[in-house]
Amino acid sequence: MIQTMIVDDEPHALDDLAAKIAKNNSFEIIARCGNAFEAIREINKLTPDVVFLDIKMPKISGIEMLSMLEKDNMPRIVFVTAYGEYAIEAFRENAIDFLLKPVDQARLEITLSRLKQNHQAQPQVRNTLATELKFIPCYRGSHYFLINLKEVVHLYSSPATGVHLVTADDEHEFHTNLGLKIFDDNSSLLRCHRQHMVNPDYIKLIERLDNGLGQIHLTGGCIVPVSRNYMSNFPALS
Amino acid sequence: MPPTLFLDHIIPLLQHMLVFLGLAYLFTRTRVFTALVNNRLTWPDKLVIYVVFSGFCILGTFLSEQSFQSADAIANTRAIGAVLGGLLGGPVVGLLVGATGGVHRVLSMSSASDPIHYIDIACAVATTADGLLAGCVHWMQSRRGRMESLFSQRLVWPVVLVVEGLHIVIVIVAGWLAGEGAAIVRLEMEIGPPMLLANALGVALIIYMISEQKRSRDELSGINHAWAIAQQCAGLLRGELDQGTSLRIAQIIQRETRVAAVAITDLNRLVAFTGEGEEHHLPGTVVSSKATLDAIQNNRVVFVDGVRSRYQCHIDSDCALGSVLIIPLRDEANNTVLGTIKLYEVKQKLFRNINRRLGEDIAQLLSASLLAGRYQLQQRLRLRDQYQLLVAQVNPHFLYNALTTIGHITTQQPQRARALLQHLSNFFRKSLETSADRVRLGDELDHLNAYLEIEKARFEARLDVVIAIPDHLLDYRIPVFTLQPIVENAIKHGVAELINGGRVSVGCTEDEYSFTLCVEDNAGLYTAKQSDGMGLRIDERIKTLFGEKFGIRICCEPGQWTRVSIRLPKEERSDDDPDDDCR
Repeated sequence: MIQTMIVDDEPHALDDLAAKIAKNNSFEIIARCGNAFEAIREINKLTPDVVFLDIKMPKISGIEMLSMLEKDNMPRIVFVTAYGEYAIEAFRENAIDFLLKPVDQARLEITLSRLKQNHQAQPQVRNTLATELKFIPCYRGSHYFLINLKEVVHLYSSPATGVHLVTADDEHEFHTNLGLKIFDDNSSLLRCHRQHMVNPDYIKLIERLDNGLGQIHLTGGCIVPVSRNYMSNFPALS
Repeated sequence: MPPTLFLDHIIPLLQHMLVFLGLAYLFTRTRVFTALVNNRLTWPDKLVIYVVFSGFCILGTFLSEQSFQSADAIANTRAIGAVLGGLLGGPVVGLLVGATGGVHRVLSMSSASDPIHYIDIACAVATTADGLLAGCVHWMQSRRGRMESLFSQRLVWPVVLVVEGLHIVIVIVAGWLAGEGAAIVRLEMEIGPPMLLANALGVALIIYMISEQKRSRDELSGINHAWAIAQQCAGLLRGELDQGTSLRIAQIIQRETRVAAVAITDLNRLVAFTGEGEEHHLPGTVVSSKATLDAIQNNRVVFVDGVRSRYQCHIDSDCALGSVLIIPLRDEANNTVLGTIKLYEVKQKLFRNINRRLGEDIAQLLSASLLAGRYQLQQRLRLRDQYQLLVAQVNPHFLYNALTTIGHITTQQPQRARALLQHLSNFFRKSLETSADRVRLGDELDHLNAYLEIEKARFEARLDVVIAIPDHLLDYRIPVFTLQPIVENAIKHGVAELINGGRVSVGCTEDEYSFTLCVEDNAGLYTAKQSDGMGLRIDERIKTLFGEKFGIRICCEPGQWTRVSIRLPKEERSDDDPDDDCR
């Protein structure tokens, strides 16, 4: 069974597509998401084989969402959209296929058989021109936020609670479903530790410690450790 | 004095006067004449006046010598030149003309065999005094800002009679000083009255001729200017006094009237200014001068001539402008004032009468164009609205979304799909039925509900709509295509952009004369930049229909809410005439 996920902000479109895909026995729908925030979380958690992805969604479009997924568990993407205007952009993102709403059953079958054929093949690796992350989907409690990368001071991941994000003008922290790897690849943030990343714009001082390691003082008073593996990111320490 | 003696003198004098009349007529046909009677005189102008009227003096003496062949003081028309020179050219020119005439008198009557007689000197002095006195009158009138009166018969006659009287007195005093009092009195008794009459008549007739010539020239040039301005302004006015258009119109008017500066204001602010002092009369300045406010409030022409009432620029005390004519731009249909047009002249310069008349004509012309422009604007807005209505009726995005949604639920919820099709068909039927410009609020709400049913089906739990409008307001009429598009925008740019969805509420507040529909979403995502201008268009249309007090106001608390308030007048209930076109 091919593990399938559907992302669409219109519930009926979601149901309709789910019903149509369910007619094909080779596909199992493991999740349905109403927005990109949920979708990123579910993709990271469930690592589906195929995602049917709506393009026009609130806050984060389907295309923007792709740059927030880690290459390692990048699923195959089929864009589903109302208007044809996104087609070219969608194919630049290495989509397998592109469906127009309302989805026609016969047309969908072609897509599904194409997916089935190359299911065994190597998972595609996106060779996109690394789209720079500008906004980061975050949440705090049950509220979703889009945080401008420029406002991010510091990121850290904790095995128990996931990735935390500290901003310049907010005392509170946000959670994000994006892994640190995404920021390594698609942002100007610098990794200083397996669990920490810093925004170079907010570095106040880089300090060498007696044990040969370093630590970074950030505006706002936070101090972040620099581990040996990442010292090369900071010329002041190497 | 025997009548024959009087006739002996008066007839040749009248003949001389006719010669002057002829010459003066020729003079009025020359180009220099225009400059002489219109503006403040420049020195070249004064030189021309000096030459022409000194010529008159010399000719007067010469003709008398030819006519009377007398050795001593003779009846002459020399004073005509001197008085005219003074009246037209001012004291200096008058003095010089008189002196020139006087010197010529002395030289022409004396020779080696005939030494200078006291009477020659007396005549010369008297002629000089004639010119100077007339010049003083010119100076006085110009100071009092009554240059026009120099050409009036009521002024000319007394001036000439007094001047000539003085002339006679001077000659008699001179004779008395020379010990020939009795003889000179007898002589003046003989030639005084005919000279008085002939000279006065001559000056009066020439002045009359000049003023007539001037008037016909002014009228002609007034018509030409008005015509030129009308031609150039045509097509510039679009019913609104915007800054660019106003500036161009002001420039045209200034070019044509050659006043120092021209301003156009609306009711509150200076819209355009061109000419002298434009560096400190900046567009946007609040109208504050008493004269302008008077013109606006009382809908009347205000003229501050700079003499009887002083004009002082409020912005810069060194401003060169000294007089102003303020003419209200009227909306004749409603008898209201739309703004003013102001013509300025600098402090040392006289405000020409012709420009006063012209200014009023221009204001009338502009008022009419503005009105016509407004009418056109309304027509255009109306056409555009009709077009938009058509587009709204077949809004492809909405139709597409609606049909797609219905398509999505047909299999799972066929009953609901059928109901949605019903709503969709209602929505379009109501759009089609709306032929008038305004609809009952109640009908508009039905229309809105049909639309919302479809949107709610599309967004389901993500869209919550609350409509709370008191029943007693449902019969008021609102412009078509007002409420629904604003709600549509609140959904499209507001709630649809929220991850967890949101709420749109439609409410209403009222006072005695108006009611305000409020459409509020809880997204707070409005930015003026992303607005597609639809709100602005609706606002424009409401203002055109009902006036500036009404229209749309948008407030936004970012991330919290966006509120669009539509203020409309409670002017008519729809029950009287549902098909009324209402404009």
